[in-house]
Amino acid sequence: MASETGTEIVAEMVANVVSIIARPGHHLEPGDTIVILESMKMEIPVLTDVGGVVQQVRVDEGDVVQEGDVLAVIG
Amino acid sequence: MTATSARPAPVKLPRDQDPRNPVTRLSTLFDESTMQLITPDDTSGMLAAVGLVHGTHTVAFCSDATVMGGAMGHEGCQVVVTAYERAVADGAPIVGLWHSGGARLAEGVLSLHAVGLIFQAMTLASGKVPQISIVLGPAAGGAAYGPALTDVVILGPEGRVFVTGPDVVRSVTGEDVDMARLGGPEPHGRRSGVVHVLADSEPHALTEGRRLASLLGDQGELDVDQVADVDLGMALPESIRRAYDVHPLVAGILDADSGLELHAKWAPNITTTLGRIGGRSVGVIANNPLRLGGCLDSSSAEKAARFVRMCDAFGVPMVVVVDVPGYLPGVGQEWDGVVRRGAKLLHAFAETSVPRVTLVTRKAYGGAYIAMNARSLGATKVFAWPGAQIAVMGAAAAIRILHRRKLADVAPDVRPQVEADLASEHERIAGGVERAVEIGVVDEVVEPAKTRRALAGALAQALAGQPVRGAHGNIPL
Repeated sequence: MASETGTEIVAEMVANVVSIIARPGHHLEPGDTIVILESMKMEIPVLTDVGGVVQQVRVDEGDVVQEGDVLAVIG
Repeated sequence: MTATSARPAPVKLPRDQDPRNPVTRLSTLFDESTMQLITPDDTSGMLAAVGLVHGTHTVAFCSDATVMGGAMGHEGCQVVVTAYERAVADGAPIVGLWHSGGARLAEGVLSLHAVGLIFQAMTLASGKVPQISIVLGPAAGGAAYGPALTDVVILGPEGRVFVTGPDVVRSVTGEDVDMARLGGPEPHGRRSGVVHVLADSEPHALTEGRRLASLLGDQGELDVDQVADVDLGMALPESIRRAYDVHPLVAGILDADSGLELHAKWAPNITTTLGRIGGRSVGVIANNPLRLGGCLDSSSAEKAARFVRMCDAFGVPMVVVVDVPGYLPGVGQEWDGVVRRGAKLLHAFAETSVPRVTLVTRKAYGGAYIAMNARSLGATKVFAWPGAQIAVMGAAAAIRILHRRKLADVAPDVRPQVEADLASEHERIAGGVERAVEIGVVDEVVEPAKTRRALAGALAQALAGQPVRGAHGNIPL
């Protein structure tokens, strides 16, 4: 979802944040992993479908995220 | 549509140079020099033709956007009905190229009646001949529901599908929205499920339409000798807990570069792909663990159900690739009708006549196990990879319910070990692929590196004899 600052990467489902792969300032290509979530007893990598620089990562490891929560912003 | 805002007057090209000329569009759709018009090239607003598509006899019609923006009057609608009569009589696929603002206002209710006759013709042809729509410009009002009634809808980059245009939306609801956001590739590709294939140019849209006409209209024979094994296990991660993208696995099952995915962005937790195995058209339905963990939910069940019914109606056998942790839990899903919409997938598989072979790669849990073409729904053959889990739920979760009291009395320091022991015991008696083979819900455990030929062999065996197809239409679920 595009916003003024960049593309927001949102959680598709309720999940725990297992690990943060991309940090602010990292350059990502489409298909790169941003964070790994855990839900339904599975570790689910969240990939970006746009390339760019990570502007923000809005979650920490151990957080519980809800569907629609912004995980990161790619600009 | 009525224009209320001032717009620059469009440049009017001579009709024979206008890229929207239906003769130009139709002749691009057909194999070179094979098109024959079956209705007059006049001012009706529609034009129909027959010709070859990848060598297959095909009927097509096209809006004439050079006349009143392709608006549909009673004469133009009769052209479409004529095309449908021809397609059904010939048993040929029919492709509609759409670029129309909807019914001709000046004709009043006569045009509405005529548009309704198109809907009737489409519905009566449903499940009998493959119907493909390619939307190249606006398809508004009646012109929106035409494509929506067909089996597959392809949207070009300028395609816009909506019931009421931005001006009406603004005047009635106050919402300020442009045509692209209302009915362009983003909303229909990702959100509404109206469109099956997004094309990045008009030639691409026509190319995909040609591929679909061939996949559904010229299905070919399955030649097992053409099918070479590849190690499909390479497509899966080492950790059983790690999600992965199922697309490489689906591509590996199909003949090289033969796959055409439908609804790629909508309900991406399940994939629905037409392609070929050993030269024969097949449909592949696969859970995609990368999205929502591969859970079934209301949208994905509905998407898969429609695909299954389409394949069945046209005699396309199916391969069902299962790695599903269950139905997606939550208030949102229940209120979204996951029970009603999930039931569509059960119904679709249970009524299927064509061969459909299931492959369980990692796990199949709970109600979602049944919904993914289980033996009980009539699967032709069920394969599983070694180590696959087939159970009501994962063993670790199951024993916490079954042995809740016992576990409560166990000291915390030994609880993990007790849980692990109980889980392995539970797996032995209730889960595990061996148990599934024992009770006959899995026919055969097959190595990933031998799966491709196993699937092809099972399909070929089931396809021998009279061709079968489901005796039903393909209502746009």
